[in-house]
Amino acid sequence: MQSVTTQRRTGRINLFKATLVFVSFLVTILLVLAIGALFMVPDVKDVWESLRSEEMLYSLKLSLWTGLLSTALVALFALPIGYTLSRFQFFGKGFVKTIIDLPVAFPELVLGLCLLLLFGNTFVGKIFDALGIHFVFTKEGIVAAQFFTALPYACRIMKSTFDYIDPRMEFVSRSLGYSMFETFVNVSLPLARNGILASTVIAFARCIGTFGTVLILAGGTYMKTEVLPITLYLNISYGNMGMALTSGIVLMVVSFAAIYVFEQTEVSL
Amino acid sequence: MKKFLIACTIAIFWTGQCLAADLIVFSGAGLIKPMEELRKNFESTHHITADIHYGSSGEIFAQVAAGQPCDVLIPGAEKYTEDALKNGWVIKDTIRPLVLHVPLIAVPKGNPAQVTRLEDLARSGTRVAIGDPKAPAIGRVAKKILQKNKLWDSTMPNITVYAPTVNQLLIYVALKQVDAAIIWGDLVTWAEGKGKLEVVRIDGKKNIIKTIPTAVCTKAPHRDTAIQFNTYVSSPEGLAIWQKWGFEPCSQ
Repeated sequence: MQSVTTQRRTGRINLFKATLVFVSFLVTILLVLAIGALFMVPDVKDVWESLRSEEMLYSLKLSLWTGLLSTALVALFALPIGYTLSRFQFFGKGFVKTIIDLPVAFPELVLGLCLLLLFGNTFVGKIFDALGIHFVFTKEGIVAAQFFTALPYACRIMKSTFDYIDPRMEFVSRSLGYSMFETFVNVSLPLARNGILASTVIAFARCIGTFGTVLILAGGTYMKTEVLPITLYLNISYGNMGMALTSGIVLMVVSFAAIYVFEQTEVSL
Repeated sequence: MKKFLIACTIAIFWTGQCLAADLIVFSGAGLIKPMEELRKNFESTHHITADIHYGSSGEIFAQVAAGQPCDVLIPGAEKYTEDALKNGWVIKDTIRPLVLHVPLIAVPKGNPAQVTRLEDLARSGTRVAIGDPKAPAIGRVAKKILQKNKLWDSTMPNITVYAPTVNQLLIYVALKQVDAAIIWGDLVTWAEGKGKLEVVRIDGKKNIIKTIPTAVCTKAPHRDTAIQFNTYVSSPEGLAIWQKWGFEPCSQ
């Protein structure tokens, strides 16, 4: 009697499992088809010619160096912020965490508009102007836009990385007479190696893919503040599908590479 | 479980039914205000749902080119409809000029750079924004106006941004990030009324005034409704709505 119930139960569980697996596969297959469509439409010659065009080379180069610079800046800030949020209790922690996370849920266009207002019309913009750094309609603006868009993702990964590192290791180090800073450099950082790699890779992919924020703050001007997503958008407007699809493919390859490296690090978000 | 699956199927089927439009219109993004009012009126009198897709003229043109289903095409300038006619995408007899599209210069409130005429855009130190000459219709027209008046070469160094969308131009002027922008008159009437920016008219002889046309596509999936909508937007009743939003009818 009992064994029959167990059997029936397993039967039920299997149906449940099968349905969930089916749903997962359904969406995965749709996504694979959608991604595949991007690669199937253009012919190879068209893509190759688009890749070698002056506009594409400019956009690739600009995307690469703004992306690398923003990623370096993001890493520089995400590491201390992630560590702070994971280890320290202080007044206003909830506020800091909420505000830093906010851009994850923020539309990029809104973030762009906020940054345009900040750098265009307030004392913050004037301070940077006095230092000779202009953010509106410039390549520096692209870096600023990418920085603020990618920062929350990197901070989250850094925070969860430190959350998973046993604080006991740090206590041992402290009890052996090392200072907080020495412990951070010699114990916490090496343990967080994978997390740092993961957050950097995700930040880079996010920087390269930033569209709305760059469009509003840096203007999205042809061959001036034109990064890959802007190339994609401009060429849809120009009716040049070859160029548009090619930039789409390049962006897709960057994302794939990023997610592949991210999966290898086995860090949880 | 079965019930759940049935419910899902019904839900998917039902949303599919709801989303299927009886009329698909591709429209220039700058025409959103009158188009939305025209859509609401047409929907209530004909008991249908219309789906209007807004984009830059180049963008919607490219979508028709890519074979997206479209019943009525209303771009920001007649050039796109002419090109569509050449390619056989629209029906010649259905092309109707609707309203005039008048470019003018928008300046921030208080006119900080003292722009009073077109020539002031070429004055050194004036920060100018125009649309990307290849993307929105206003970009191409702005470049042509400057070229026509032999001001393009001297204005070019002043152009701080070529915006891919018309809406960016408005934001940049209103937030004082540029001193002047060449933009469609109908787009600034609303912002001007709110006191966000001021308007400098371009001398009639120096200006290039465009007409906005409407046309039914040859491959229109809902041809009869499309022809009705096409007639409605160009009727005196429809033109009154265009006028309300700051457009001048062609017949005047």
